[in-house]
Amino acid sequence: MINYQQFVLDNGLQVLVHEDHSTKIAVVNILYKVGSRNEIEGKTGLAHYFEHLMFGSTKHIPVFDTALEKVGGSCNAFTNTDITNYYITLPAVNLETAFWLESDRMMNLALTEKTIETQRKVVIEEFKQRYLNQPYGDIFHHIRGLAYDRHPYQWPTIGKEIEDIVNYKKEDVEEFYFTHYRPDNAIMVVAGDVALEEVKRLSEKWFAEIPSGSIPKKTIPTELPQVKKKTKIVAAKVPTDALYKVYHMPGKMQEGYLEADLITDIIGFGRSSILEQQLVKNGHTFASIGAYILGTVDPGLMVFSGKMEKGRSAEEAEKALDEVVEAFKSSKISDTILQKVKNQAEAMKTYESIQLLNRAMSLAYYAHLGNPNYYQEEYEIKTRIPSDKIIHWANTILQEENASVIYYKSVNK
Amino acid sequence: MTLDRSKAPEFLIPQDIHLPNPIKRTLPNGVHLYFIPTPEIDAIRLEINSETQNSSISADKKLTSFFTLHMMMEGTKSMDGSELDDFFDFYASEVEVHAGFENNSIALITTKKHFSKVIPVFRSLLTEATFPEKELAKRKSQKALNISIQREKTAVRASQLFRQQLFGQDHPYGQIAEEADVESIQRDDLLKYYETSLLINPEIFLTGNVDAEELALIETYLGSLIINKDNNPAYTFENKPTARLYEDRKDALQSSIRIGCHLIPKSHPDYHALTVFNTILGGYFGSRLIKNIREDKGHTYGIYSTIGSLQGSDYWVIMADVQKAFVNEVIEEIYKEINLLKTTPVSAEELEVVKNYMIGNFLSTFSSSFELINKFKSVHLAGLDMNFYEDKLDFIRDFEAEDILAVGQKYFLKDDLIEVIVG
Repeated sequence: MINYQQFVLDNGLQVLVHEDHSTKIAVVNILYKVGSRNEIEGKTGLAHYFEHLMFGSTKHIPVFDTALEKVGGSCNAFTNTDITNYYITLPAVNLETAFWLESDRMMNLALTEKTIETQRKVVIEEFKQRYLNQPYGDIFHHIRGLAYDRHPYQWPTIGKEIEDIVNYKKEDVEEFYFTHYRPDNAIMVVAGDVALEEVKRLSEKWFAEIPSGSIPKKTIPTELPQVKKKTKIVAAKVPTDALYKVYHMPGKMQEGYLEADLITDIIGFGRSSILEQQLVKNGHTFASIGAYILGTVDPGLMVFSGKMEKGRSAEEAEKALDEVVEAFKSSKISDTILQKVKNQAEAMKTYESIQLLNRAMSLAYYAHLGNPNYYQEEYEIKTRIPSDKIIHWANTILQEENASVIYYKSVNK
Repeated sequence: MTLDRSKAPEFLIPQDIHLPNPIKRTLPNGVHLYFIPTPEIDAIRLEINSETQNSSISADKKLTSFFTLHMMMEGTKSMDGSELDDFFDFYASEVEVHAGFENNSIALITTKKHFSKVIPVFRSLLTEATFPEKELAKRKSQKALNISIQREKTAVRASQLFRQQLFGQDHPYGQIAEEADVESIQRDDLLKYYETSLLINPEIFLTGNVDAEELALIETYLGSLIINKDNNPAYTFENKPTARLYEDRKDALQSSIRIGCHLIPKSHPDYHALTVFNTILGGYFGSRLIKNIREDKGHTYGIYSTIGSLQGSDYWVIMADVQKAFVNEVIEEIYKEINLLKTTPVSAEELEVVKNYMIGNFLSTFSSSFELINKFKSVHLAGLDMNFYEDKLDFIRDFEAEDILAVGQKYFLKDDLIEVIVG
C-alpha cells in the first residue's frame, strides 16, 4: 500500500500527494499521457524527442536544469510507448521551485531554433549509441515492425529510422506540445516531506491559470487479430544467432493480462524457471533465454528471447522452445510454483517501495490507468489466479498463427 | 494579482544533514560486521566483502575468482543446482556475486519474513559447494560468448583498453579477459580458490529491517565460517606519458572516447577539491562538458567524467560516445575545457549552482537509508569512516574559485592523460 490523497484542479490537472516525513526530500513527478502510441508514420520518435525539448528554456527560465540545480535539485525523464514521465528530486524546503519550473514548461515552453536543432543531433546520437552501434541493438525495430501492421507499437520509442528525426518540422513540435502537454492530460504526484494543504496552495498558485487542451488527440489505429504466423530473417555481424518469438496478448487493463504476466513469471523468470532449467542448464542449443511481457496499455506482446550457443541456429532453437511451450500448455501448475510466484510478487512490492521516487512513479502510473489503488488491487488479484485460468490463457495466446519470429542470424565478417 | 513568473521562488540550502554511523559487531571468528538498521523497510541486504586473491594467480587463470563465485550456486553437498535455484526463487531471495579486481562480494538480498529460512542455505554456498563439471562447461561457454559480444561494443572495448593503458597489461587490474582465458579454467582451479582464497579478510555489510533475532542468526551461521588470511601487495601507480591508442572500426557508427589518469587517495587533503573539479568539468548535467559537447554542439548523447574508486589511489576518466566525424574536435574541446578550469576562476554564479547542487545531491543520497551502508563501505575500504562525508560537506560549503584552479594546475596535466579511441 502507498498512502495518498488527491484533488483535481478546474483545468483538469490531477494531483496526488504522498506524505513521507521520514525524509527531508521531496519528489515532484509529472506524467503526461502521451507516448510513441500517439505518433504517426513518418513522424515516429516525436514523443521521445519532445521530452528532450522540455529541458530547454521557457519564457521565464533560460536554462531549466541550472535553475533547479541552484536550489539543490536534480531531474530526469523517460518516454515509453504509452507515457512521458518527468521527475524532480529536491530538498523539501525548496518545493515551490519545482512548481515554478514544471508549471512554466507546461505553460510557456520556448521552442527555440537552437534547442530544436541541437536536440535533433543529440537524439540522432542517442539512436546510434543505443540501437545501431550495439550488437543486436536494432532487434526491437525488427520485432515491432513484424508483429504490428497498423498500431503505432510497430516502431520503438526512439523512432523507426533516423530519417524521421531529421524531418521533424517546427509545426510538428508545436502541435505536439499544444495537443499533449496540457494540464488535463497530466498527472502530478508530489511526494516526500510535504503536506497536503501546502501542495494544494502551490498547485492553485502555479498551475490553475494554465488552460486545458483544446486540440483533440488523433485516434490510434487498432491492430486487427493476426491470422497467420509471420517470420523474418535478419543477417548481421554478431557472434551468435538470436531468436525472438513474440505473441500478441491483451493490454494492461484487459482480461487475460495478469494471466499472461503469470505465464512468463512461471515459464521464464529467474534461475528456477522452466526455460532456464530445461533449455539452458539441461540443453545444448540456448546460451540464454528469458520470457517477459511488454506491459502496454494497448494490446502488447509476450516475448521469448534467447541467444544460441555458437554454431547452433535460431531455427533449431525455435523447435526446442516450441516443445517446452507445448508441454506447458497441457500442464497443471503446482501449488508450490503458485506460492513461489506469490512470494516473489510480495517481495517485489517490498523492494520497489524502498525508494521514494519509485513510490511516486507507481502512483502516477496507476492513476494514469484510472485508479491509483489498482497498484495494490492488481497484486491481490494476480496472486489469487488459479492454475486452470493461467493454462487457459496460455492456450489462447501461445498459438502459431498468433506468433511473429525473428531469426537474427550471425554472418561471417 | 497576476503571478510574476519571472521571479524565482525563495530557496534555502539545508544545513543540518545527519550522517549516521553504522553499528559495529565482531563475530566469534573475528569477522567485523557493520550494519545500519532501516526498520521501515522489510528487505534485508547482507554482503560479505573479501579481498580478491591476485598475487598467486597467473595471467591465464585471471577468471578463477569469477568462476569460483559464479559456480557456488551450481550445487552443494546437500542440494544440487536446480534445488538451490528453486529454493532461493521460492523465498524470493537472490544471491548476487561480484568478482572485482580488489574485492569479491557475495550478497544475499531477501526479506525479513524469509531471512531465517535462507541464511543456513546461504552459508552452505560458502562451505560445501561442489563445482560440478557439467555446469562448469555451460558457464564457460556462456562466458566465452559474452566476452565475444562485449568486445563488439565500442564503449566496452574502449573501457577495457583504457584500463590496460592505465594499469599496464601485466597488472591484474589492467588485464583483459579473452576467450582463451575461459578455456584455461579447470575445476581444480576453482576448488583450490574456494579452499584458500574465497574469504580473505572478509567483512560483512548489512542493512534492512534487522534486529536481535537476525543478528543472532548471522552470528550462528556466519560467525563460524573459516577465514583465509592473506595479504595482497599494496599497489602504487604512476602517471607516465603514453601515446594515444586508436582502434579503428570501419563499421562503427560512433567513436568511444576514454581520457584519464591516476589521481590521489581519498585520504589526501586535496581529494575533496578534486571531486568538485570533476563535478564542474563533467560530473553532473550542468557540467562544462555536457553544456559544450552535448547542449551546444550536439556531438554526443552523453559525456561524463568520473572518479574511479580504489583502495589505494583513485583514478579519473572522461567517457563519451561521439559522432565519428567530430572525434578530434571533441577531444580538442575536452582539453580546452580542462585548461579553462585551470586558468580562469569559476564565476560566482556557477560556484553557487555547483555548491547548491552538490549539497542537495548529498541530502538526497543520504536520505535513502537503504543506500547508506554502501556509502559507508566505499570509504571504509579506503581506510576511512563517515567523517569523510562530513569533511566533504564542509569543503563544498566553504571552497572558493582559487581552490579549483589550484587542483586543476596540480593534477590535470596533459602529459599524464591516457587517451583511447575505439570506432
